Amino acid sequence: MGQHLLSMIVFLPLFGALVMALGRSGLRLLRTGTLAISAVTTLLSFTLAFLFTADGSMQFVRKVPWISNYGITYYLGVDLISLVLLLVIAVLMPLLYLYMHEEKRKGFWYSMLLLQSGVSGVILSLDAILFYLFWEMMLLPVFLMIGRYGAGERSYNVMQLLLMTLLGSLTMLYAILYMGYRFYSISGHWSYAVEDLAKLRFESETDILLAAGFLLAFVIKIPLVGFHTWMAPAYGSAPTPAVVILSAVMAKLGVYGIWRFGFSLFGDTLTLYAPGIIALSLFGLLYYTLRAISQDGLREMFAFASGAHLSMITLGLLLANIYAWSGSLYFIATHAFSSAGMFLMLGLLYRRSGTFAISELGGIAQRAPKFAFFFIFFALSVAGLPGTGGFVSELLIIIGAFKSNLWIGVFAAMSMVAAVLYLFTMSRKVLFGESSEATERFDDLSPLETTILVPLVLLLLAMGIFPSLFMSIFDTQLSIMLDAFREGVA
Amino acid sequence: MVEYLYFVISLLSVLGGASLLLLLTHREGDDLYRLNHISVLFLVVALFAALMQWNLGTRGYLLEGLFGKVLYIDDFALLFDTMFITGTIMTLLINTEYFANRRYFNGEYFALILFSLFGMMLLAHSHELVTAFIALEIASLSVYALVGYHKNNLVSIEAMMKYFTLGSIGGILFLLGSVIIFAATGSTELGAIAQYTHKGSADLTPVIIGATFIMIAVMFKIGAVPFHAWVLDVYEGAPFPVTMFMASTFKIAIFAIALRLYIVDFVPMHGTWTHLLELMAALTMLGGSWLAITQKSLKRMLAGSSIVHSGYMLIAITSIGLGSNIAASAIIFYLIAYFVSSVGAFGILSFISATSRKELTYDDFKGFSERRPYMAAMMAVFMLSLAGFPSTIGFLGKFYIFTAAIESGEFFLAGLGIAMAFVSVYYYFKLIAMIYFYPNKEPQKELVFNSSTLLIILLAAVVVLGGMGSGLIPYMPSADGFIDIATAAVGALGTPLR
Repeated sequence: MGQHLLSMIVFLPLFGALVMALGRSGLRLLRTGTLAISAVTTLLSFTLAFLFTADGSMQFVRKVPWISNYGITYYLGVDLISLVLLLVIAVLMPLLYLYMHEEKRKGFWYSMLLLQSGVSGVILSLDAILFYLFWEMMLLPVFLMIGRYGAGERSYNVMQLLLMTLLGSLTMLYAILYMGYRFYSISGHWSYAVEDLAKLRFESETDILLAAGFLLAFVIKIPLVGFHTWMAPAYGSAPTPAVVILSAVMAKLGVYGIWRFGFSLFGDTLTLYAPGIIALSLFGLLYYTLRAISQDGLREMFAFASGAHLSMITLGLLLANIYAWSGSLYFIATHAFSSAGMFLMLGLLYRRSGTFAISELGGIAQRAPKFAFFFIFFALSVAGLPGTGGFVSELLIIIGAFKSNLWIGVFAAMSMVAAVLYLFTMSRKVLFGESSEATERFDDLSPLETTILVPLVLLLLAMGIFPSLFMSIFDTQLSIMLDAFREGVA
Repeated sequence: MVEYLYFVISLLSVLGGASLLLLLTHREGDDLYRLNHISVLFLVVALFAALMQWNLGTRGYLLEGLFGKVLYIDDFALLFDTMFITGTIMTLLINTEYFANRRYFNGEYFALILFSLFGMMLLAHSHELVTAFIALEIASLSVYALVGYHKNNLVSIEAMMKYFTLGSIGGILFLLGSVIIFAATGSTELGAIAQYTHKGSADLTPVIIGATFIMIAVMFKIGAVPFHAWVLDVYEGAPFPVTMFMASTFKIAIFAIALRLYIVDFVPMHGTWTHLLELMAALTMLGGSWLAITQKSLKRMLAGSSIVHSGYMLIAITSIGLGSNIAASAIIFYLIAYFVSSVGAFGILSFISATSRKELTYDDFKGFSERRPYMAAMMAVFMLSLAGFPSTIGFLGKFYIFTAAIESGEFFLAGLGIAMAFVSVYYYFKLIAMIYFYPNKEPQKELVFNSSTLLIILLAAVVVLGGMGSGLIPYMPSADGFIDIATAAVGALGTPLR
């Protein structure tokens, strides 16, 4: 059981989808089946978290030969960072499936299941080629969901997303191939396992190029400013569940990639890149916040808000001290929940009013008080108000920033304030004032919809009020990793 | 004598089948289904015979008492035999509906296909340059006739003329090269040539000139830039089954002799060609990508992309020349991967166009996923494989080739190859986008299980399983299997690669 646990988490959704697709299951069976699969997967993930011991090591490792002539292995393992991401998925997926319960297009359900397998696989793979496989695989369902079920200029937007992310992936592939070959020429056997590749030492120019190959894939996925042109159009076109995954999970995978591959493979060189990435993140904070303020479309606004927060997470990661790292890791979870909540609210809003434009909305609070309450709550949690998890995370990152440089700290803190401002303005315009044509008939949340949102609210509150519960676990493990990283650099 | 016949069963079966079909087809209104089944029957016998001999370490001259050192049998030749026969069976069975719906098809079509197959198999077995030339011409002449098979169609005739003229030049260059090599070495037998070139003391200049002519002929046949001018028009003009046959099966035939020559006989010349090959690989990938991007017709797009795939294989050929240990098996693996994926893609195209007269464009695939959901999924699989998306056999093919390129120090070519794979995502995913992104206007069609669909399903399964391995799916034949086959085939060539 133990050694197959991770494989089951990764492949259960995929196999479920395959079985149901080949069995030509009807919509009801598909819906029930998907919910059952996601419930089981979530249970397995929680079991995993329960059995997990935070001692800084890789656990539940499963390593079997895959393509043996080239030393490619099927190699899964979990450590604290991947566990956090895995739990985020475990919490979000069932809620998303509940949200989708009226979805009649079968392909949508299959795509979601495939996507769940893909992102779980990315999080758990420890072999570079396997990682690449899942990294590409998760793109397919997103491609289909946006292109097939999206809105607006969907074909164009999704092609842009596909080509930009693939450009990054392929530079990464080149770097992986080169490293694999170098490992072979030094050791005499092929291997693409992360810990083997980490042993390699290159001439500094080569190292810089290789790191660039990997980083390009990751910063496009995040996306940092300058690599972000695909983001707003894709978020704008994507159906709600796809947006939630894009913002709450897939964007984090870029950060995760830097963590897993950047730090372990390119310790020294990454410190060379760090100032640049920090500068980009800071500029991103400013740029994305300004762009968010000027949007009329809610989707686009929160796409940019999400971009700003991911810049913050990246910033914390690259500052590489214990506060910033705990903050980043914490932010990965809290931002996932708050942005998932927010994008779900937007989805519900669209179901009722048929528009995302702020200028066409207003007066919702009178007609739908429950809706307004949740809307405000998630908007505030996105802004990082005290009492929500976002506050703790941002605070930690800002402390970490002050520790390394006064101005970085000041800058990061300022962006927090700006976010509060525009989120308040937006909420006021959408919820209060005169009701418009679109909000004339606006139903309040149904019990099912409330059920979907409540867990996210509770989690965000818990993470905001009792951070010490999580922090004690984070601290030990992250300081071990940090020491390892500093040793590598020194 | 008689016991040697065992080894020529497959050749004889194909030749016998071809001759018999020629005799059977003098009447108007032949029963095409029956002729099709007869040809497949002969092919199955041949395939079975080839598979029986595979991997037994068989190595030696075929019917030496009769022909001397002209024909050779080893695992390398047998692998190519297997691919050729499989490709032909696929061509015949997948297109059953296609030629049943066209009046201009009659019995000689099958005879021509089988003669072409015989020529290709002979090419794989030939161990002597003039024999290789004759084999190549047997195969080519049949294909010329097949390209112009639609006699009343001007495009088809034009394609045939183009192909015939340019293809003949290719053939003549091959012959010219052989003559020069004969003048220099005193033999056209590959073993003798190898002895001469590996001697070390000999003056290699004339051999290099001759060998270069032969390599140019090879470039003609695989459509490498700048010898690619015929590819798009010929692929477009030929009837679909013929295009499929050319793109998948006939295209790899030339490799059967080219690799044998290149890996064994021309080793001392590798250094001379390195830069030329690098340049051609780069041009072929760039030119092919350009051609593929700009097409609207799917036949032309696949034709353009087949040039790009030739470019990838040229990278591997360059790497062989630079002493890569893995490039030779990489190229054979790539041939298998390309073969499977392109037969599948062309198979679906001709399956669809079986009942319509239209030329298929991207736009015709709008709403395809709702019309024929399973066919659509399989088309997507083939496109992903051609684009080199992971978890398909096409990805592993590219993985091996680019790794080989990096191993031999061709960093630029590997990078360019990856860049062109990136470009190829555009034109392959455009089709996937057409399939999935647009609503359907016509009624949904049920998946009918007949020979065409079953074979396409089989190919899709091979594409996926060949890209995954034993680690992901326990107890299944793994992706390792194919690269082992490729390595065994290269190993059979015997001479050290360096």
